[in-house]
Amino acid sequence: MALRSAYLDFLYSAKSPERVVGVGGDTTSFFPALYPFYQQRRSSCFGFFRSCPLMFGPARYSPAVLGILRSCSAGNGRCVQIFGRSEERAEREKRETADRKRRTECGSGMTVLQEPVQAAVWQALNHYAYLDAVFLAERLYAEVRSEEALYLLATCYYRSGKPYKAYRLLKAHSCSTPQVRFLLAKCCVELSKLAEGEQVLIGGVLNKQKSQDDIITEFGDSASFTLSLLGHIYCKTDRVTKGAECFQRSLTLNPFLWSPFQNLCHLGEKPDPDQVFRLSSLQNLSIVPPPQSVSPAQNPSHRLDTALMETPQDTLELNRLNLESSNGKLTSDLSVSYIDSSLISPETGSLLANTVSMASAGSLLAKQNKPKSGRSLLGGPAALSPLTPSFGILPLEPSPGDPTYLQNYSATMETQSTAPSKKSVSRISQSKSVFSQSGNSRDVLPIPFNQSQTSAPHTSGSPQVLSPSMSGPPNVQPRRSSRLFTSASSTAKENSKKLKMKFPTKIPNRKTKCKSAKTSNSSNLNESLDILRLDPGLSLPDTKIPQYQRAVADSVMALLRELGRGYQALCSYNCREAINILTSLPPQHYNTGWVLTHIGRAYFELAEYTQAERLFSEVRRIESYRVEGMEIYSTTLWHLQKDVALSALSKDLTDMDKNCPEAWCVAGNCFSLQREHDIAIKFFQRAIQVDPGFAYAYTLLGHEFVLTEELDRALACFRNAIRVNNRHYNAWYGLGMIYYKQEKFNLAEIHFKKALSINPQSSVLLCHIGVVQHALKKSDAALETLNRAIGIDPKNPLCKFHRASILFANDKYKAALQELEELKQIVPKESLVYFLIGKVYKKLGQTHLALMNFSWAMDLDPKGANNQIKEAIDKRYLPEDEAAEVDDSQDSSIMTDADDTQLHTAESDDVL
Amino acid sequence: MRKWININLVFAEMVILVFFCDQRMATPSKTPPGADPKQLERTGTVREIGSQAVWSLSSCKPGFGVDQLRDDNLETYWQSDGSQPHLVNIQFRRRTTVKMLCIYADYKSDESYTPSKISVRVGNNFHNLQEIRQLEMVEPSGWIHISLMNQRTNEPISTFMIQIAVLANHQNGRDTHMRQIKVYTPVEESSIGKFPRCTTVDFMMYRTIR
Repeated sequence: MALRSAYLDFLYSAKSPERVVGVGGDTTSFFPALYPFYQQRRSSCFGFFRSCPLMFGPARYSPAVLGILRSCSAGNGRCVQIFGRSEERAEREKRETADRKRRTECGSGMTVLQEPVQAAVWQALNHYAYLDAVFLAERLYAEVRSEEALYLLATCYYRSGKPYKAYRLLKAHSCSTPQVRFLLAKCCVELSKLAEGEQVLIGGVLNKQKSQDDIITEFGDSASFTLSLLGHIYCKTDRVTKGAECFQRSLTLNPFLWSPFQNLCHLGEKPDPDQVFRLSSLQNLSIVPPPQSVSPAQNPSHRLDTALMETPQDTLELNRLNLESSNGKLTSDLSVSYIDSSLISPETGSLLANTVSMASAGSLLAKQNKPKSGRSLLGGPAALSPLTPSFGILPLEPSPGDPTYLQNYSATMETQSTAPSKKSVSRISQSKSVFSQSGNSRDVLPIPFNQSQTSAPHTSGSPQVLSPSMSGPPNVQPRRSSRLFTSASSTAKENSKKLKMKFPTKIPNRKTKCKSAKTSNSSNLNESLDILRLDPGLSLPDTKIPQYQRAVADSVMALLRELGRGYQALCSYNCREAINILTSLPPQHYNTGWVLTHIGRAYFELAEYTQAERLFSEVRRIESYRVEGMEIYSTTLWHLQKDVALSALSKDLTDMDKNCPEAWCVAGNCFSLQREHDIAIKFFQRAIQVDPGFAYAYTLLGHEFVLTEELDRALACFRNAIRVNNRHYNAWYGLGMIYYKQEKFNLAEIHFKKALSINPQSSVLLCHIGVVQHALKKSDAALETLNRAIGIDPKNPLCKFHRASILFANDKYKAALQELEELKQIVPKESLVYFLIGKVYKKLGQTHLALMNFSWAMDLDPKGANNQIKEAIDKRYLPEDEAAEVDDSQDSSIMTDADDTQLHTAESDDVL
Repeated sequence: MRKWININLVFAEMVILVFFCDQRMATPSKTPPGADPKQLERTGTVREIGSQAVWSLSSCKPGFGVDQLRDDNLETYWQSDGSQPHLVNIQFRRRTTVKMLCIYADYKSDESYTPSKISVRVGNNFHNLQEIRQLEMVEPSGWIHISLMNQRTNEPISTFMIQIAVLANHQNGRDTHMRQIKVYTPVEESSIGKFPRCTTVDFMMYRTIR
């Protein structure tokens, strides 16, 4: 305590009120401390306290604050007004919470209680201790009943996987802030209350609905996520154009988002990845370097902003980091005392090694002065690995300022590598943890309280505990406060609307942000960049920062563009192109589950199942935990009839995750291959139960129903699949198949063609269309279609077979025979080919060749499943059938053996 | 009276064995058991469709009814409790192609309850049933396959209703035991064109989109 007051004295003498506030620890105790200081400078005093109400939340109405405000605003009418209002409100609040206050131990216990508890809740959340977080948040909410606590509690519920709890909680209370409404909408969507979610986001049917621009201004930084959510709602409710618009907008706001792009692709839109994944809106912020005079103020505030986005530990670290970096004098004096290993949390601590090595690697590079080689910004492993990182490296473009930059860099590295350098380097590392923890971006935390809570014994005496808002260098603060002053009228409204719930310490930062980036667009991007950015402030000149940010972001964008092009090609079923694009990715990205799965998917759509299987098994090897795409793998195995691999996969996946539809689809496929269709149906139904939005499960269920001849239910299933995803061509194919079975060839052709319009490259589909056209007596068209199919995939044996059979049916025996000879080269072991060859020879009157082929066909038919072959051979010994059979075959459009069997009854024995 | 015999047999196994031997010697042409229908299902040429039908029985002892007849368990059985002939009625919702019936009978366990003479009738309803098969069994022990192919056309029959009637039991037993009945329909090739089944994976995987 003595040390602390001594430090306060020191700060008084240094005339830096910010630090006083920072050291103060809690709001009630530092006001009196500040009072004498501000007595000397009444003018700035008002400015400071004017911002107090915003900054200190409920404490602003404490008698101490009001007293100070009154005393320093004597004679100022406006101020009296303000204070009158605040006093009124204070009275009201006091009345409301009187009984609660009585319960608390000290008068202002509420605020004292709220903030450490909040910090504790966030800490619990960050350590996945959801039970603790929920419990604490419930206590906190019971205590203070503020909207902030409500949001915190709802967040805890949501993160602990109980969106319904969050939904009911938020539903029961009016929610005004965008933050809360976004969470509520998110819960609604999760609980598939789409209409309600939409209402929450854009207002009800009766009210005036908000436009996208309104949403963007209202939600600010999170607008991109809000729009993405809204687009999702629109798509689910079949307003595809609006949904696509929302996704587009969301992407322009935040090109780092992948899922809107993915959704656009699924909608059949063709967003141009080159347009989507670029940082155009960022340019005004990061390309133009801020003027030298502004940058010291600007940059720390940005950094603070990132810091505030982060979790308590990170904030702490960054805080002190900022302190050191921005306040050179102080750093040199006090940096040794700043070393506080207890504050470095385990996970961040573990990163120290990495980053130290990274820093040394970086300095090495800098010393070697190789401008073209690029420099790792994303940590040691990437820098040390033999692979070339695609966005961890800065491609150093030969720009005019380049050599100087490198020199600067190495110079600063050298200056940093004096006595306290180890520590400051380790501080850099925290920025990496910023990157890794970017999930909690909206969590604003009370730094002083948190500090006193997490490391009470240490900080109580040490001077490094400073509020983030005040941690700028002393010469900055007056400027900022004056800006606060001047811009108060313009931003007051916005603040009161937007930030009532946010933690007050954020306000100054927000203001600087609003000023530096006028639109919410760029502030949003700024934020994402801040998260991305390695904090280069220590080692690099401030003016260079935006360029590095931009370079990193650009390389990320380049990668996203590649992925986007590949994904889009896949979604529009340009499978070859997709394979080419995805295979040309750098190896560290190529060898990931996502990429390999999608290449496998592309091969699957091309009906190259062996290739697909190779890739999927590689996925299983690399990421055995991956379930996305495994349903495709299982169908691949189903096609290849690899029952052992399929059942192993099914066992593994169902053991791993019983709540994902993919696992049950795999299980269903497994049983379908075993021809246990009833069990397969159960599993596919379970897949639908787990996720009613999973179109492929409906399709597979439909196929099972087709196999059990329940065509009506199969139709319903396929239609459901189309309802869920109308670009799911497999379901259109299924419908066509059913109509073909019912001999409604016209309908079948329509549905096959619909499927083909979605996937124009499918040789199997074309083959089916050809057969249907043949059935419709359009033999020429059928042959043309089949030729097209063979053109697409020359290896598809079935196309050739059907072409041969059509030729055969059209009495073009020679052509048919030639076709079949070619086919024999592709599939030498298929009995059906020999069977058809035998038939052709029979027609040609070459009995011995026919017999030879028939007997080969018999030999190749291991299970003897085809008594048609046997009968065809038997028929050879009954010459009187010959003439009749010729007539029959010419009648039947598709060669059918039904008539054969009718004719041939005498010798037929019971099969069993 | 029959129950008494049953109990007696249970208590005096030696007697049973002797009895068995006698019977075997007396009738050497024992009905041979057919293949396990599960294996047939695996080949993909037939499919069990009993679950699509409504099953009814002329009579049954409580707890030994349709459930036991259809539970895929060879240890449980249907036991009739009335006068002969004992009937099993299988009614389909729609006209259904049926290729064969499989009945599990076990003379070793069921003794005089084992059916010896079975008639299979098909028709649209109870009133126009026509007998299409009648078969006699001698001490069956295992699956008995009854083909329902049309004798004339060699095609599976297509029907709304099947009735299996137990006309007589071994040793003139009155009530009967039936352990399992399965009904099979031929599987239509899911591919297009009315070709025989293809045999290689290379060929088969292009057959359909899934």
